[in-house]
Amino acid sequence: MNNNRLFIAAGIMAFSIALAQDEPIVEYVAGDEGERRPLHTVVPAYPEKARRARVEGEVEVCFKVNREGRTSRVAVRRSTNRAFEKPSRDAVRASTYRPLPKDKKLSGIKTCRTFRFHLEAVTID
Amino acid sequence: MNKVTTLWLNCPVVVCLCLAAAVAHGQESKTVLGPSNTDLYYGAKALLAGDAEEGVRLTLLGVQRAANSRDRITGMSNLCAGYIMLEQYEIGVSYCDKVLARNDQHWRSYSNRALANLKLGRFEETEADLQKAEAIAPSARTVKVVRSMLLDATNPVAPLIVIDDRRQAADDDEQ
Repeated sequence: MNNNRLFIAAGIMAFSIALAQDEPIVEYVAGDEGERRPLHTVVPAYPEKARRARVEGEVEVCFKVNREGRTSRVAVRRSTNRAFEKPSRDAVRASTYRPLPKDKKLSGIKTCRTFRFHLEAVTID
Repeated sequence: MNKVTTLWLNCPVVVCLCLAAAVAHGQESKTVLGPSNTDLYYGAKALLAGDAEEGVRLTLLGVQRAANSRDRITGMSNLCAGYIMLEQYEIGVSYCDKVLARNDQHWRSYSNRALANLKLGRFEETEADLQKAEAIAPSARTVKVVRSMLLDATNPVAPLIVIDDRRQAADDDEQ
C-alpha cells in the first residue's frame, strides 16, 4: 500500500490540488480500483476551533460523479467529529473528476473519499 | 506560524470581551437612572470600541471616583485589560493583581493576567492563571482562546490533511 502514498510535493499527480487558506500540509493517497479519476481535488480547511482545541478527526464522504465529472449527492458516511464534516462535504462538492469517455457507461456506484485531519508538532526556532 | 501571528493580533478582542459586564451594568442603570459612574461606563465603552488610550484615561478617572468596591474592582479589571491593549503588560498585571487581591474568584482578571504574562514570555505564570480561570469559568470563550494561544506559543502545531481515495466505491443503497 505504501506505493500508493504520494506526497503533494512530488508534483507528479495527474490532477491539481487546491490548497485552502490555512495551507495545511497535504498528503494524497491514491486509489487504485476506482472507475473515476480525480481531476481537481479541493483540500478542506482545518476548522480553526478544532485546531485551537487540538482536536483531530476523520470523515468519509460518499458521492456520485456525473458523466462530466461533477460531484452530487454528497453525504457523510462515517465521521469521528462533526466539526470536520462540513469542510469535507464542501471540499468534495468543489472537487471534480475526469469526464467519462463517451464509450463508457455511467455506473450507479458511489465514490467515497476519506479525509483525515491531523495536527503535527511544529519545531519552534 | 501564521496562526500564531493571527492569534496575537486578536489579543485586543480577547481582552475587550472581558469588559462586557461593565458596560452591560451601565446600560442597565441607564434605563432608569443613568450610569452611576459615567467615566467608568464610557471608559469601558471606549475600550470595547478599541480606543485603549481614551478607555484607560476615562477608567482611571472612574476608579478615582468609584463609590463602591464593585465599581473599583470593575474599573481595575478594565485597567488591566486596557493596559494590555496598550501593550503595557507590567502595568496591566499590576491592576489584575489588585483585583485578585480583593476577589480571588475574578476569572476575567486571571484570564487577562494570563494573557499579559503570555506576552511577557512567562509561560509558567500563564499556565497557573489559566488553570484558575478554567476552574472558575470552564466554558468562557476568552479563557479558551488564551489557552490556545499558550499552546501555540509552547506547542505549536500545523494541520496535516490526508485525502485517501483507496476505498473508492460504495453501493448506492448504503447511507
